[in-house]
Amino acid sequence: MFQFLVQTAWLVPIYPLVGMLLSAAWFPAITRRTGPRPAGYVNAITTFVSLLHSLLALVTLWGRSPQYQTYHWLKVAGLDLTLVIEISALTVGAMVLINGLNFAAQIYAVGYLEMDWGWARFYAMLALFEAGMCGLVLCNNLFFSYMILEILTLGTYLLVGIWFNQSLVVTGARDAFLTKRVGDLFLLMGVLALYPLAGTWDFNELAIWAQTANVDPKLATLVGLALLAGPMGKCAQFPLHLWLDEAMEGPLPSTILRNSVVVATGAWVLVKMEPVLALSPTVMAVAIAIGAVTALGGTLISIAQIDIKRALSYLVSAYMGLTFIAVGVGQTEAALLIVLTHAIAMACLVMASGSIVLNNITQDLTQLGGLWSRRPITGLSFIAGALGLVALPPLGGFWSLLKLADGTWPHHPVITALLLVINALAAFAVARVFGLLFGGKLNPMTVRSPENLWPITLPMTFGAAFVLHLPIILQRLSLLPDWAMMNKDVALLLTWSSIFGLSLGGVVYLGNWIAKPVSLPWKGLQDLFAYDFYTPKIYRSSIVGSVDFISQLTDWIDRYVVDGLVNLVGIASIFGGETLKYGNSGKTQFYVFTIAFGLALIGILMSWSILSELSVSVGQG
Amino acid sequence: MLSLLIWIPILGAIAIALLPQSRARLGGLVISGAVFALSLVVLSQFDLTNAGFQFREYFAWIETLGLNYELAVDGLSLVLLVLNSLLTFIAILTTKPDIERPRLFYGLILLVSGGVAGAFLAQNLLLFFLFYELELVPFYLLISIWGGAKRSYAATKFLMFTAISGVFVLASFLGLIWLTHSSTFAYESLLGQTLPLALQVVLLGMLLVGFGIKIPLVPFHTWLPDTYVEASTPVAILLGGVLAKLGTYGIFRFGLGLFPEAWAKLAPWLAIWAAISIMYGAMAAIAQKDIKRMVAYSSIGHMGYILLGGASLTALGVVGAVSQMVAHGLILALLFYLVGVIEAKVGNRELDVLNGLMNPIRGLPSISSLLVLGGMASAGIPGLAGFISEFLIFQGSYAVFPVQTLLAVVGTGLTAVYFVILLNRTCFGKLDNATAYYPRVTWSDKVPALILTALIIFLGIQPSWLVRWSESTTTAMVAAVPILSPSTPIVEVLGVEGLGVEPGVNRPG
Repeated sequence: MFQFLVQTAWLVPIYPLVGMLLSAAWFPAITRRTGPRPAGYVNAITTFVSLLHSLLALVTLWGRSPQYQTYHWLKVAGLDLTLVIEISALTVGAMVLINGLNFAAQIYAVGYLEMDWGWARFYAMLALFEAGMCGLVLCNNLFFSYMILEILTLGTYLLVGIWFNQSLVVTGARDAFLTKRVGDLFLLMGVLALYPLAGTWDFNELAIWAQTANVDPKLATLVGLALLAGPMGKCAQFPLHLWLDEAMEGPLPSTILRNSVVVATGAWVLVKMEPVLALSPTVMAVAIAIGAVTALGGTLISIAQIDIKRALSYLVSAYMGLTFIAVGVGQTEAALLIVLTHAIAMACLVMASGSIVLNNITQDLTQLGGLWSRRPITGLSFIAGALGLVALPPLGGFWSLLKLADGTWPHHPVITALLLVINALAAFAVARVFGLLFGGKLNPMTVRSPENLWPITLPMTFGAAFVLHLPIILQRLSLLPDWAMMNKDVALLLTWSSIFGLSLGGVVYLGNWIAKPVSLPWKGLQDLFAYDFYTPKIYRSSIVGSVDFISQLTDWIDRYVVDGLVNLVGIASIFGGETLKYGNSGKTQFYVFTIAFGLALIGILMSWSILSELSVSVGQG
Repeated sequence: MLSLLIWIPILGAIAIALLPQSRARLGGLVISGAVFALSLVVLSQFDLTNAGFQFREYFAWIETLGLNYELAVDGLSLVLLVLNSLLTFIAILTTKPDIERPRLFYGLILLVSGGVAGAFLAQNLLLFFLFYELELVPFYLLISIWGGAKRSYAATKFLMFTAISGVFVLASFLGLIWLTHSSTFAYESLLGQTLPLALQVVLLGMLLVGFGIKIPLVPFHTWLPDTYVEASTPVAILLGGVLAKLGTYGIFRFGLGLFPEAWAKLAPWLAIWAAISIMYGAMAAIAQKDIKRMVAYSSIGHMGYILLGGASLTALGVVGAVSQMVAHGLILALLFYLVGVIEAKVGNRELDVLNGLMNPIRGLPSISSLLVLGGMASAGIPGLAGFISEFLIFQGSYAVFPVQTLLAVVGTGLTAVYFVILLNRTCFGKLDNATAYYPRVTWSDKVPALILTALIIFLGIQPSWLVRWSESTTTAMVAAVPILSPSTPIVEVLGVEGLGVEPGVNRPG
């Protein structure tokens, strides 16, 4: 029916790019005349067109085999960079998710940034992300994926830095850019190193190559680790996780997109690269270890945060850690399912919390409370998002975690146990945030808190509805496991771990038995989590400090040793010139000419004498 | 045809001297625009499949000396020729209309352009050298008359360094002629020289020092920050965009072209040298407090990539290096121009003073946005011209020198570090309301930057327009390099055959 829409699915990333270019027209001069809003509307329209196109293409594509389109980008000196676009149900489905969430974020921003003047920049950056992510899922090639990831790194810098006159925003943008860039450069090293081995960057061809590849295990490990580092930066994994926390200084509507799908770009590449990573068991083990540390650490840190956006952002790191674990054990489908369920639930959570931040002025959890009586719609949406995130049947998070836990159960029971702990902690974390927001008594910051305008409330409730309907969608897509095949022990354990975490969080933060604010008995441990394992300090004293030191040292050497030597020679020759000038006209040019000529003559004579000897000796020899 | 590219600007320089003061700028624009258009004609008629020299011109001149007027163009010089004529046009466009002594200024700029074009086109070693030295004088005057506060120091330093560079180059050329007993300086007649490897290494070493000063490579670079910073914006654009390319061109044309065996022998050392240059330039740039100086140091780092590509001796690496010359020329010109605009409007270049220029109402939002783009292009963000050339270099050299290549990749990371420092301090942050009464940025301020930006983006998205011109030439250059047995270390080549230290004692067999 819509066959031509499938054929032209490559247009989906183009629409937002057009919107981005159009919003460039709203530079300050025009904004003064029209106000900033038209730039946002233009982008919302192009995103809606993208959404519609990808949705119709998905309907047409469903159940068919993937189609491939090629575009010759660059062919030089034996290197053939041909872009292969994969149009399959999976990739178009991912585009639907991206476009849908971006559309929601754009509508949300209409309300959230009502008073802001930077619409053109903001919407242009959202469009860049939308286009980049759609391009990423379409292109079936590591090289082009790397290119897009790197462009998105720049996008992160500009998107976080929208409110650039606040100092925390500036440092946040800087750290986000540099941290991601570190990951990207490792990825670039991996990209460079992989080509001589495999001779291709095409994901499908890499998978075929990896089946029979005979690579030196040490090399395979190094390449695999480099390839792992790129997604680590994108997914905010330890130790490259700090940027996501600092990125919370950016506007909240961008957080909707970032916390749900932008972080998942790393997971996407990781899933695509799984066959290559699997060449080295060490790499897989490292992936599991990084994922486990991040998931466990992220949930613990999240529990200790008093900033609502940060409490959520560490959960994002934690869930991306789960995708690392999933890829590490070879469960790529589980990884993608986690990405899907997490994206929708997290978007809903972020929209609900933003709805509270906007008209309560503060995002400090300790200053909020008692909002249930004031904000029931937001509260219900938050509950939907929270329950959709953790493994509570029948919502989405349950099925994705079940798939992973089920897959690890036979061979890695320890990981399954770890998943239960992480899930319980995550459940505790969302219950805590809920309790601090909606439980307790009203206070001066929350006593006047109506529900927001429709541009904020509508996307939020829509997100909640999407979370609640996700199981039905999953079932239609036959992504749910067969009842008979399901591992009921694991399912029960997961459910109980969620119930345990949620109820414990509810008891602690909704009940009156424990004095607020709640803290751990040992101050040091509390601070360790609250200050993110002191990662900023570790950065500053290690990598940042050493780069700073080396650059100062280089500068010193440059100034006083290399240039100092030159100036010394200069002074000496001026001195020589001073003594000579009595016999000369005093023209600098003449000196220079004399010096140059003399040096040339000496140089030639010297080299000639050596060279003639050499040739003689060679001739003799 | 090719002669026109040299003589139109040189004769134009004289013609401008006869024009009234007020018309000098227009004259400069017309002449440089005509030269640019002519270079585009050469570009369009260039045969891409032909790896050799095209559009040959020959006039016998002083045959007894072996000096003849021989011009030709191939894939290596073609792109640089077009870059030169474009940047000359841009440089004139970016000159302040109310500049002092306009006739002399525009005349000197055109003289530089003609000299550089001659050097790129010359097919005779001595002719090359004449043009190579010819552009020194106008550059010296351009720096010392229109430069900043320390201009006479900078100009003298520049002249000294580049004069010494010329000495080394000339010495190497003369050495080559005498040793091969050649009767002519014609480039192509010297191509098949069969000198012993040790002599080649010595001659190549002199060339490397000579052109290494010009490029410049660490540790011969100290003239660069002073000169670039003190030079006015249009002169800095020409210095970084064109003059530095004369050095890299020389290294590729004469170093790699005339001494392929010695080049192959020295390649590992060249790669190490490149990696050191890259790291050194980036590290020194991080520590700078003056944005123009920071951009100047970034140029030192970027020259290292070109050397790395050449050292790799792979078709990919060399074509990447040639594209890097073009990409770097465009990006550096853009950066110097934007820094110049900021200096003109704000009156300051200090990182610690500048702040919040992105401010849409009272800052310089469009200039800041372009600066973000230029900085990111220099840092190698994909989609912009700098990325693909660096990537080709890396992919080409990784197979040969993995460690040096990975260090160079780290260097691009450090590039990102100092550009983020620069952007965070200048564009981001809070504008000081008390002092922010800057002159308006006019369209004529933006036009040169927009031209360069459009080119940087276009070549980044369609990189085949960047590499197609030089691909067959560079492939042929690499193919001409004999494959040496890697077992003989350089010390042995020098020690046994070269320096003649107890010949026969160390030699096996």
